[in-house]
Amino acid sequence: MEGNSSHEFFISVSTNKHRPPLWADKLLIYFCRQDYADEILGDLHEAFYWRLKEKGPGKAKAKFAWEVIKSLRPKNLKSFYHFSLNTMILRNYIKIAFRTLLKRKSTSFINIFGLSLGAAAFVLIFLYAYQIISFDDHHEKKDKIFLAYKERITPDGVQPAFDTWAPMKDRFLSDYSQVKAAARIYETDSRIVKNNQYLEEDIMYTDESLFDIFTYPLLYGNEKKIFADKQSVVISAEVAMKYFQKENAIGEVMEIFLPDEDTTLLYQVSAILDRLPTNISYRPNMMVQIEGIPVYPEIANNWGSSFLETYVLLDRKESAAELEAAFPDLVETLWGAEVRENTNFKLLPYNQVYDQFIGRKADAYTLLLIGFGILLIAAINFMNLSTAQASQRMKEIGLRKVLGAFRGQLRTQFVTEAFVTSLIAILIGVGLVFFIAPYFNDFFDVSISFGLFSPLQILSFCAGLAIALGILSGSYPAIYLSSLRSIDALQQKIGFGGSANFRNILVVLQFSIALFLITSAILIRNQISFMTQRDMGFNSQNTLAIRASASDFADRDQGVVRLNTLKEQLRNKSYLTNVALSRSIPTRWTRSFTFVRPDGWNGDPLRMRYTYVDANFFNTYDINLKYGNHFLADSEGGDQRESVILNEAAMKAFEFDPSSQNVIKIGDRRMNVVGIVEDFNFESLQIEVAPTLMFHRTAANPVHTYVSAQISMSDLPTKLEEIEDMWNELGSTNDFTYYFMSDQVQRLYEAEERYLGMVTMFSALAIIVACLGLYGLTLFIIEKRRKEISIRKVLGAEIRGILQLIFRDFTKWVIVSFIISVPFVIFFMTDWLEGYHYRIPISWITFAITLAMVFALVIVTVGYQSLRAASSNPVNHLKDE
Amino acid sequence: MNLQLGVLEEMILIILLMKDETYGVDIAKEYESQLNQSISLPAIHVVLKRLEKKDLVTSKMGEPTAERGGRRKRIYQATNKGYEAARYLQQKRSEMWKAIPAMNFSFQ
Repeated sequence: MEGNSSHEFFISVSTNKHRPPLWADKLLIYFCRQDYADEILGDLHEAFYWRLKEKGPGKAKAKFAWEVIKSLRPKNLKSFYHFSLNTMILRNYIKIAFRTLLKRKSTSFINIFGLSLGAAAFVLIFLYAYQIISFDDHHEKKDKIFLAYKERITPDGVQPAFDTWAPMKDRFLSDYSQVKAAARIYETDSRIVKNNQYLEEDIMYTDESLFDIFTYPLLYGNEKKIFADKQSVVISAEVAMKYFQKENAIGEVMEIFLPDEDTTLLYQVSAILDRLPTNISYRPNMMVQIEGIPVYPEIANNWGSSFLETYVLLDRKESAAELEAAFPDLVETLWGAEVRENTNFKLLPYNQVYDQFIGRKADAYTLLLIGFGILLIAAINFMNLSTAQASQRMKEIGLRKVLGAFRGQLRTQFVTEAFVTSLIAILIGVGLVFFIAPYFNDFFDVSISFGLFSPLQILSFCAGLAIALGILSGSYPAIYLSSLRSIDALQQKIGFGGSANFRNILVVLQFSIALFLITSAILIRNQISFMTQRDMGFNSQNTLAIRASASDFADRDQGVVRLNTLKEQLRNKSYLTNVALSRSIPTRWTRSFTFVRPDGWNGDPLRMRYTYVDANFFNTYDINLKYGNHFLADSEGGDQRESVILNEAAMKAFEFDPSSQNVIKIGDRRMNVVGIVEDFNFESLQIEVAPTLMFHRTAANPVHTYVSAQISMSDLPTKLEEIEDMWNELGSTNDFTYYFMSDQVQRLYEAEERYLGMVTMFSALAIIVACLGLYGLTLFIIEKRRKEISIRKVLGAEIRGILQLIFRDFTKWVIVSFIISVPFVIFFMTDWLEGYHYRIPISWITFAITLAMVFALVIVTVGYQSLRAASSNPVNHLKDE
Repeated sequence: MNLQLGVLEEMILIILLMKDETYGVDIAKEYESQLNQSISLPAIHVVLKRLEKKDLVTSKMGEPTAERGGRRKRIYQATNKGYEAARYLQQKRSEMWKAIPAMNFSFQ
């Protein structure tokens, strides 16, 4: 009361020009004991005005704040009790919650352990999924950014292609007012010349307008003029540290070799990029203006060769549709009416770029759903165990009611208990994630961390999760328990009849989720092992491929000569057999396309992949010839430019009759189809084998980029070392790069393997948490039926009969859950499998395996306690009455 | 007398004896003018509470003033016991001081 009156007084006199910092004042008023407040605060205020005169306002204020903080010593603080009257009852709730937790250690353990496992799984999944879902969210204008691309309309359907032409940017800007900015991106390798050494570094050719479209903050440099001139380079802070040992490397000169241009140029650093989040698609290391590269004048107005990406920023996102409607006219002006019919321009919204090029955001959402599932299972454990315990707390509830507790108060009590439990669980869970994350990253080769979030976000996330979990898991017990009639409660008339049905439903729900996850994981596993074990149509065993391209040499002509020496050396090694040269190899197949039509066709040409091989290629990879002949051996003359070998897919695309002599035409050039090989899967089995043209070039031709051979596997390291030494002598700018085809095939399914690993891990977690709950429930049910069991035993029941009694319920639950899970599995997995061209059927065996597995787990979980109950001496449980 | 008094406790007790009746800020001012050394108020408050617990000082609430933000001051006064304690310490100290041999100075 004194506090109040003096407070008003304080306000009336504090019209002085300078006054003590208000925050410090409030802090002290809030925390300081009432009976000390007058003395301490008064003294501090008086001292403030005294110091104001002697030392000036700055020092006086600083000293005041400092002394306030120093005055906040424990003895001067209000006791917790004093803060507010309302906390009294809350304190009581919390106290009771802790008492209940400690009183029932086994159920508390099951609750907290289960919940923290669930929370850890959820947080882990959330961190991983968030990275993917928020991919590219970093760019502020992301809604208005579009990737311009072209579509080829062919008889086979519509094929998108994302390479566009250099003049497209300016054409868009001049023709369409909706396009506010446009920028081109071409990413390639470059080599930095440093102390006579070449260090490889990615480089991006782009336009300054890129910075208007995307959000790339600068660490140093002029925002208005990012590239000072054509010879300017913008580098990332990492690159600056790497080459100049400092972040502010503005003005430094870099000597950059551009392999595509075959020249070395001097660039001056004009800006440094700030560090970027890990989950964005373009994280440039070095950027130069595309207009500054030597070849630019040749490409600037060339609508013939497309090789770069064009991004546009629109005035609003609805403009995209208008533009797409206007594009056909532009196509016609550029290439004529005929092209208008088979080519179109399109705009891809930027948020779809991830799905188009990197992965599937849908997988992240699926994982997130799994996370929710696990969390739900853990929350159900809590609900079930607390209502099951109701009978044990009857007396407490009844007494509280008799003493005048309102239902709302009882409800708050139970929700508080749930909240305390879930808060402890989440703290443990998040701690667990901190501990597990490095292993998780290592194992799945991902990079999750809390780094994307600020500490405040993490804290509020945990608090939110705790509240959500508390409400989720505490609401049902709260409503059920508080609704008991006090007289029934006191007389303990209520067993667990009323809530048993609901509890059974919850258990069934838990097991449905767990069964669904397990069946799906098994199906995913089967699909992956199907893909890795299926005959790809080529031999991947003991096959080694070495990258050997003339473009890896500073001097291309010399590179060709040296590579031919290498080929000869390799041929002479006894441990290498069937040495073959090719432009591309399975798993790293060609991405080059050409337009081709069968001789005699007048329709539109087909867009088809092509590559070059030597005469030995099919032999090395053991690819079967289905019709016709192989190329003639290299020794029988030079490049067989008039011949082509097709795969079966191409044969079907051309509608060729393999028994007759077929001819294809590329432009005006005619080529004879000499042979047709069986389809071999040069890409993941997810995709149907694409039609491919394979042309012949002799081994000596510089068009080839890979040397493939069968290698004998004994004493492999020595052999590889020998080949590496041979490679190093050639003086290439590239390191020795080799691939084992069997590894390459495995690597095609990396994403699926990772997905499988996560789904397996989290399904295992789900079933563990579900079983944990089941275990708790068993304990409780046995406790409740102990007398019944004892009486049955006295009357002559056998152990078997009693076990049956206990197991009957659980069996029923598992079977019902199983029946519920089947349609969900069929629905979701059919959808998932449809993403794979070559896929397994969903077989009933999978379901049988899952059911057997879960039954086994349930028997183990329930079995021991049941057996103990069934075989115990009935006297022990009957004598107390 | 068996009293443990820290240097700051003793100093403040002496200031209290000098002043008859005084309070926190006044003590701070006196301390600074006497010893030419600044001192923080929370430190003084802690010492006063400690002295009060040892019954060397008593306190009562005074009247509010404007410059204190309308808050009352707690006025401290040394007790007889406080006086005795301080006097005892002074006496003991001067006795001990006399025992310091004069020759010690030659080492300085």
